[in-house]
Amino acid sequence: MLVNKIWHCLLIGDYMTKRFTVIILSIVLCTSVLFVSCGYNSSDLYETQEFLMGTVVLQKIYHENAAEIAKEVNDRIAEIESTMTINKPGGEINLLNDAAGKEYVKLGEDTLYVLDKAKQYAEISNGAFDVTIGPLVKAWGVFTDNPRVPSKNEIDELLKLVNYKDINIDFENSTAMLAKEGQIVDLGGIAKGFAADEAVEIYKEHGVKSALISLGGNIFTLSGKPDGSPWMVGIRNPRGNDGSYIGIVRVKDKAVVSSGDYERFFEKDGVRYHHILDPKTGYPADTGLIGTTIISDFSIDADALSTAVFVLGLEEGMKLVESLDGVDAVFITADKKIYVTDGLKDTFIFKDESKEFEYVEKR
Amino acid sequence: MNRVKKTVLLGLFVSQALILSIVESWIPIPSPVPGVKLGLANIITVITIIFFGFREAVSVVIARCVLSSIFGGGGWMLFLFSVTGGVLSSVVMSILYKSGRDKFSITGISIAGAVSHNVGQIFVAAVFMKDLAVAVVLPVLLVSGCIMGFFVGLVSSFLEGVLRKTRIFD
Amino acid sequence: MLKKGDFFILGFVLILIIVSFTGVYLYKNSGSNAHKIAVIIKDNEEIKRIDIDNVNEPLEISVSGEYNNIILVEKGRIRFKEADCPDRVCVNTGWLTGKGDTAVCLPNKTMIKIEGQSSDVDIVTY
Repeated sequence: MLVNKIWHCLLIGDYMTKRFTVIILSIVLCTSVLFVSCGYNSSDLYETQEFLMGTVVLQKIYHENAAEIAKEVNDRIAEIESTMTINKPGGEINLLNDAAGKEYVKLGEDTLYVLDKAKQYAEISNGAFDVTIGPLVKAWGVFTDNPRVPSKNEIDELLKLVNYKDINIDFENSTAMLAKEGQIVDLGGIAKGFAADEAVEIYKEHGVKSALISLGGNIFTLSGKPDGSPWMVGIRNPRGNDGSYIGIVRVKDKAVVSSGDYERFFEKDGVRYHHILDPKTGYPADTGLIGTTIISDFSIDADALSTAVFVLGLEEGMKLVESLDGVDAVFITADKKIYVTDGLKDTFIFKDESKEFEYVEKR
Repeated sequence: MNRVKKTVLLGLFVSQALILSIVESWIPIPSPVPGVKLGLANIITVITIIFFGFREAVSVVIARCVLSSIFGGGGWMLFLFSVTGGVLSSVVMSILYKSGRDKFSITGISIAGAVSHNVGQIFVAAVFMKDLAVAVVLPVLLVSGCIMGFFVGLVSSFLEGVLRKTRIFD
Repeated sequence: MLKKGDFFILGFVLILIIVSFTGVYLYKNSGSNAHKIAVIIKDNEEIKRIDIDNVNEPLEISVSGEYNNIILVEKGRIRFKEADCPDRVCVNTGWLTGKGDTAVCLPNKTMIKIEGQSSDVDIVTY
């Protein structure tokens, strides 16, 4: 009945009626189009979270195929995890560790790459970053439900197995071997970095122009935000709650990775034992730092270095970072002071709501 | 028109409006936003304005709202909510009607009525919740008000013609 | 059938629509990098604040007053799940997912609103 009325208005009604009806109908049309496009267009941002590598992997992608790309990234991360994990059965590192002191094992491209990088960082950090720390990590059990303080004897014994120089890589045959029986390679301090770099590769392959990925707090920003502005990445307050920060770095195309004594720790008899073990002492690194953050072009570098400089301490760590091209760092000391490398002096924004930290500008 | 006849007719209008609002609540309108309604009761409001006048229209609206909130439950809030929208729309429609039928058609008046009805309701909700956030639905509501008002207006103008012919209101 | 004045009405309404649409659009797009915080308000007082982007398991909240509401929170969205108020407009509103989205149970004086939290970081390391 009403449809007839509309028809009547359009066909037979006088000129004004026709115009009027047309206007009404176009309003209807426009609004329905608006609603439909709003669905697609509201921000173009696709955000997803997945539990991988023992942590939460958050992706923010600006792209029309974001959902597929995010899935591809998650699949790749899952693949990397299964290849390099020592917390689950299977994978290549488990094979490598089982064959320690016995024979060479065939390894894939990814694993060889990561092992080699790990060795490089062990060398430039003088052993402060050492993936052969596996046996000690196991003894402390910091990543498990039953952490414990091993005895000094136990630690001294296990220290004998810690030596990155015992990682023997045969690139020609794509094999590797650990020199001594009982040695264990733990890629926990570098695998996420590798995974983040791989994720970024996938983003680039698909022509993504703006994205951000966080692998358990290990962040990579692809380019800047869609409007061209840099991503604002907060540096975690080592003594604050989740999400609280003491400063912000404005980054584009950079990896931002933090290490600290707040990530995994347990307390016994009033002493806090955290998870970043010093490969020289066998105990949690105690060099006056509670948090380090590395900003660099590749996440694998940032991951390894953030651990390395934490173990090295402020002086040595600062020296190491300043000696490397394209790498910057933020150091947070136990007495709540913040130091940054020269490269960050202009881009680091000190913002501490807890008002407990002090930003030391001159060194 | 003598008083008895007037009272009876207005009473009929009130019950018509009541029925229309009940029936209207049975028709679900798929919409991302709450508050999108057909506004069928506005037909009665317009007709009352045409055949009687502003005061009568407002009385019919208030009576309808009172009964509606008694029968439908909902208490004071619902009443306040619908009465504000209803009264505001009566005011707007009366003003437009009085300024001349040569200037505004029934359809146009209905659109204005529907839109002001929605605005009135949003206003009450905002004041009630002391928060302007409810106004995010305004654009959608305004558009739906236009559309619904248009159709309600077509029906009303049609109805007016029919009612005039019956000569009840002379 | 249609008169001159009608166009003024239509024009006026159109302007209202454009203005309100722009207003809402601006509101929704300010600070879009932040987490969504849903706020539950009863009797004009904030009774609960939830970061709905951080919710991993569905969560139910009961609100009692003249009537009773059950609010369901899932990751990134929130809604009135059940209500015994007479019109159930609140439940019929469905899911609230974006900044500024609102659902109201007037009879029970309860409102859910998603605020944007203007934040100066996109993410924090850990």
